[in-house]
Amino acid sequence: MNEVKKVAIEVKDVCINYRILNSVSVQKSFLRKKVREEVFEAVKHVSFEVEEGGILGIIGKNGSGKSTLLKSIAGVFSPNTGTIDLKGHSVSLMALGVGFKDNLTGRENIVLSGMLLGFSEKEIEARAQDIIDFAEIGEFIDRPVRTYSSGMHSKLAFAITAMLETDIMLVDEVLSVGDERFKKKSLAKMKELINDKNRTVVIVSHSIPTLKELCDKVLWIHDGEMKEIGEPAAVLKHYTDFMAG
Amino acid sequence: MEMVNILMFIIPPILAWVIHIYLRHGDMSGKRKVFFFFLYQLLINACTYGVSCLRGIRGFEFDNMTISYRIKYMGLGCVLGFVIPFIVCLLSEDQITIGGFKRYTTRFIRDNRKYMGYAIRVAKADLRSEVSNSYLDWMWWLIEPFCMMMIYTVIFGVVFNASEKYFPVFIFIGITMWSFFSRSISGSVNTVRANKGVITKVYLPKYILLFSKMLVNGFKMMVSMGIILLMMLVFRVPLTVNVLYVLPILVVLFLFTYGLGTILMHYGVYVNDLGYITGIVLSMMMYFTGTFYAVSKRVPAPFGELLEKFNPIAYLISSMRGALLYGQAPEWGLMGLWGFVSIVLIALGAFTIYSNENAYVKVI
Repeated sequence: MNEVKKVAIEVKDVCINYRILNSVSVQKSFLRKKVREEVFEAVKHVSFEVEEGGILGIIGKNGSGKSTLLKSIAGVFSPNTGTIDLKGHSVSLMALGVGFKDNLTGRENIVLSGMLLGFSEKEIEARAQDIIDFAEIGEFIDRPVRTYSSGMHSKLAFAITAMLETDIMLVDEVLSVGDERFKKKSLAKMKELINDKNRTVVIVSHSIPTLKELCDKVLWIHDGEMKEIGEPAAVLKHYTDFMAG
Repeated sequence: MEMVNILMFIIPPILAWVIHIYLRHGDMSGKRKVFFFFLYQLLINACTYGVSCLRGIRGFEFDNMTISYRIKYMGLGCVLGFVIPFIVCLLSEDQITIGGFKRYTTRFIRDNRKYMGYAIRVAKADLRSEVSNSYLDWMWWLIEPFCMMMIYTVIFGVVFNASEKYFPVFIFIGITMWSFFSRSISGSVNTVRANKGVITKVYLPKYILLFSKMLVNGFKMMVSMGIILLMMLVFRVPLTVNVLYVLPILVVLFLFTYGLGTILMHYGVYVNDLGYITGIVLSMMMYFTGTFYAVSKRVPAPFGELLEKFNPIAYLISSMRGALLYGQAPEWGLMGLWGFVSIVLIALGAFTIYSNENAYVKVI
């Protein structure tokens, strides 16, 4: 490969604060004059780049800001300072459910989720059958989502994000949903998606073997700060040593 | 009476002052607050006094001043108090700049175009799911307002002996427009919480949620408007060209509701019990709005007319009745004014949402 790889995700000096502005009631705000504002910095000055087709793993202990970072790449909320540039790529966050509306049928939800991910109605309609087939929830597809069992719910959610392929995929823990058979099927699909040469992937996981197997770069975040980024083998070794010691 | 004399000068500046503090997002020092308090006292009373001079009333003689004059003075002051802080903020501070204003406006237009398809689709799906599980299906959209109309007609027409012409139609117009407004407003407070599932997973401008909710309510209102037209035929209401004014009236109603709704939606995220307050205020408003009586005729002399002028919903309802039933054209000046206020409200609401929506996910 002699051509220069294009950058797909550019994260520059990103800080994300949680302003702990607890939601107040009217009574509370009358009694206490000033609402105390606490600021919690979840992510501090993180910058990195992911090339097109690259697979980045993010590792770190619980509460170190991994998911926050992922959510802000997905655009659920934007960073307080710094920039995240996706170079015009479409992005989806593979967490359970793209946001279902409980009163609507599965079929409606497929279309609505797809539209939120930036697909046109036609594109979704073309792929709806694939999604329904993959999800294996039978006639429930025409019933309201509130009647679904939790297994069906996550199966449909997985099918939607897996079949509506975006340029950038953000994975929060490699998901394992449904029964044994579906688990296998979804894991295989997931690997297929991740290994696609055109797809940029960011994976957040605690599973060291998974990251070692899939990623070509690993970022280690500790308490919101970047600790290390680089070759999976090296970073993961430092991480395990750190956690053990 | 002394109280009223003082209030008439003080309320409008206080309104302006509160809006100013709100626009500054609370980062004003105590000294600045005091300074602006007096600045607005001067500015707004000077403007209002100037206008009243132009209208030929010079100086204040409190002894023979009419109530109507006092209230008009205060009303004008409040409208000024609503507009002036925006201008002052634009001129005096750096945080709200003209560039920022432009940026937000283009973003607002672009987002609206991008997510309109989604909003409409959600509204359609909501409507469908609302009726798909019920026995009488979409008939409810006709039955519910119709039954309400019957109840009010019996209570106010027979028991209280109301004498308005075409009374059932008269009441039906009021109920239709009011229920659109009150449903949208009371729904707006909970919109963000109710859509938690969606907004924690993917980005969308939050006012779109409210917009699609309002499309649902708007559709129901249009069904009722259809019934109104039918009823007008049954009651042999003479049709005039003025019926066409229905459209601008509905547009202003929609814009005003949207503007107010976006602002309430923002506060609904942070203030848990805002729902109760809007509930109480709305039911109080319902009686002041003349849903089932004509405000300007029933409320004693100066107040009725003023209530109608300064309460946009009352004004819109009575213009609608005028246009449909009595062949009167609405008062364009007031209509334009409320249209303008609505647009300012929408801008205010949308920009507030833009600058705060990141935090919503973290609060709920």
